[in-house]
Amino acid sequence: MLADRGKGAVFVPAFGAVAAVLAALPFFVDLFYQTFLTEILVWVLFAISFDLIFGYTGLLSFGQALFFGLGGYAVAIPVLKLGLGTGTGLLLSVAVPALFAALVGYFSVKLSGIHFVIITIIFALIGSTLGESWAWLTGGADGLVFPAPPIDFGLFRLDLMDIRSTYYLVLAVVALSYLFLRRMVQSPLGKVFVAIRENEERARLIGYDVRFHKLLSFVIAGGLSGLAGGLYSVSLKYASATFLHWSVSGHAVVYTIVGGAGTLLGPVLGAGLIMSLEHYLVDFLQATDLVVGAVLVFMLLLAPRGIMGLAQGRRK
Amino acid sequence: MERAPQPPILALSKVSKSFGGLMAVNYASLSVNKGELRALIGPNGAGKTTLLNLITGIHTASSGTIRFKGEDITRLPPDRISRRGISRTLQVTSLFSGLTVYENVWAAVQSRKRFFNPFVRAEAWKDVAGKTEAMLELTGLSDKARTVCSELSYGDQRILEMGIALSTEPDLLLLDEPTAGLSTRESMGLVKRMRAMLGGRTILLVEHDMGVVMELSDRITVLHYGEVLAEGTPAEIMANAEVHKVYLGS
Repeated sequence: MLADRGKGAVFVPAFGAVAAVLAALPFFVDLFYQTFLTEILVWVLFAISFDLIFGYTGLLSFGQALFFGLGGYAVAIPVLKLGLGTGTGLLLSVAVPALFAALVGYFSVKLSGIHFVIITIIFALIGSTLGESWAWLTGGADGLVFPAPPIDFGLFRLDLMDIRSTYYLVLAVVALSYLFLRRMVQSPLGKVFVAIRENEERARLIGYDVRFHKLLSFVIAGGLSGLAGGLYSVSLKYASATFLHWSVSGHAVVYTIVGGAGTLLGPVLGAGLIMSLEHYLVDFLQATDLVVGAVLVFMLLLAPRGIMGLAQGRRK
Repeated sequence: MERAPQPPILALSKVSKSFGGLMAVNYASLSVNKGELRALIGPNGAGKTTLLNLITGIHTASSGTIRFKGEDITRLPPDRISRRGISRTLQVTSLFSGLTVYENVWAAVQSRKRFFNPFVRAEAWKDVAGKTEAMLELTGLSDKARTVCSELSYGDQRILEMGIALSTEPDLLLLDEPTAGLSTRESMGLVKRMRAMLGGRTILLVEHDMGVVMELSDRITVLHYGEVLAEGTPAEIMANAEVHKVYLGS
């Protein structure tokens, strides 16, 4: 009775079908579109990680760019300067941002409402300022270009200089991350997050350590935002301080609000819709931001629960 | 029948709380025994809700000690106090308003666990599901289990709030004006429901409705300007001249 019975019976074949279509696509679309799809998948991961902290735990973090950017560097720097493998880099792109999220979160989750929003922006600003000024480490705004070494899976080697292989790597990681998050939000832990979102005081009064669970959600979201940044840098063979810019956080916010917060699927649709709009409109007009802005305003006014809210009708 | 003296389950000793210069609770001492239903009455601003906030850790006492089951809980945060076995309802209904009745009760039942496994579906916790359904049965809300609780009638919300508080399996339940905002008829219904739900529990009840207080309580404590003015059985309180002067009216 917690979830509608039979939802799983729809989800499994639907997820399988979408995954199969996405896996088959590289055989039907050219390299340009494979690159574009890879990019969409990266932002999908970034958006769903944001949905965990915002949509499920109720904390509007405008600082996710910090973890995204750190994730990018957590691959680029070890690969370029320490000669480590891409696989190790990707593991670091989860671990390093998660560690920073623990630190940032420790100070941030004590605050609530607008104060929380502002402190996360400030931390992201510090990150992007340091990223730009520590050019000896980060390459500054020019960034770091690196060759991503192939990942050896034993049975096969994944050549990451190949666009299609990179697409498959990103697809696999994003699909697994989606399943991981989906299970989490349906789990007892997910129920704790949602309880905190709905009523912090009540959650505390029935015995939940609110601050700890906010921090936990923030760390998990930070780790996955980092993984998105890591995958982004692997797909571009490039990481830069621009990844840390606070406006990067805005992407996740827009995708999630347009798609529907607290649904996981919503941010996926939001990212797909907005990025496609931008992609196809750029041929006709310069100011694609204007269109994105218009879509956002439209959704906020007429469909505050996003695409998912429209799809599900009035009821939750 | 005389019983061997048992240590009180809750003991407040010379507890004070000031906000700025205002003494909201002033040197209050109070003991509640296991199994007792104690009412806490007094005029508005007497410090009743503040006292509950001190017991549940929402505020911390400026001085004095609060002991629960023999242990000092004066400075514990609300979640730790809840886990030690004190639960409460709030004067202004406080629910997970966007969730269903079922999900509200589930969250409270689940709170007694120590580890919240992120890798299993919540439904797999059959013991939590069982207790949740039992609580819905007890509150009479089973047929509204799937209703989003912001859509419940106010009376049902008050009952749900009590159900949530009970779902944490407390040894002491604090009720802050459960009938606030209810019509007389709704109050009577709630009291009836409370009798069924609360039998045998240790309860500290803040209530303005003297009918409810007389009907339910074993003993009554009267607060006035943050101080304990009187304490006794309902009959003794009704006969107390000073209580009449400050609270009950002549």
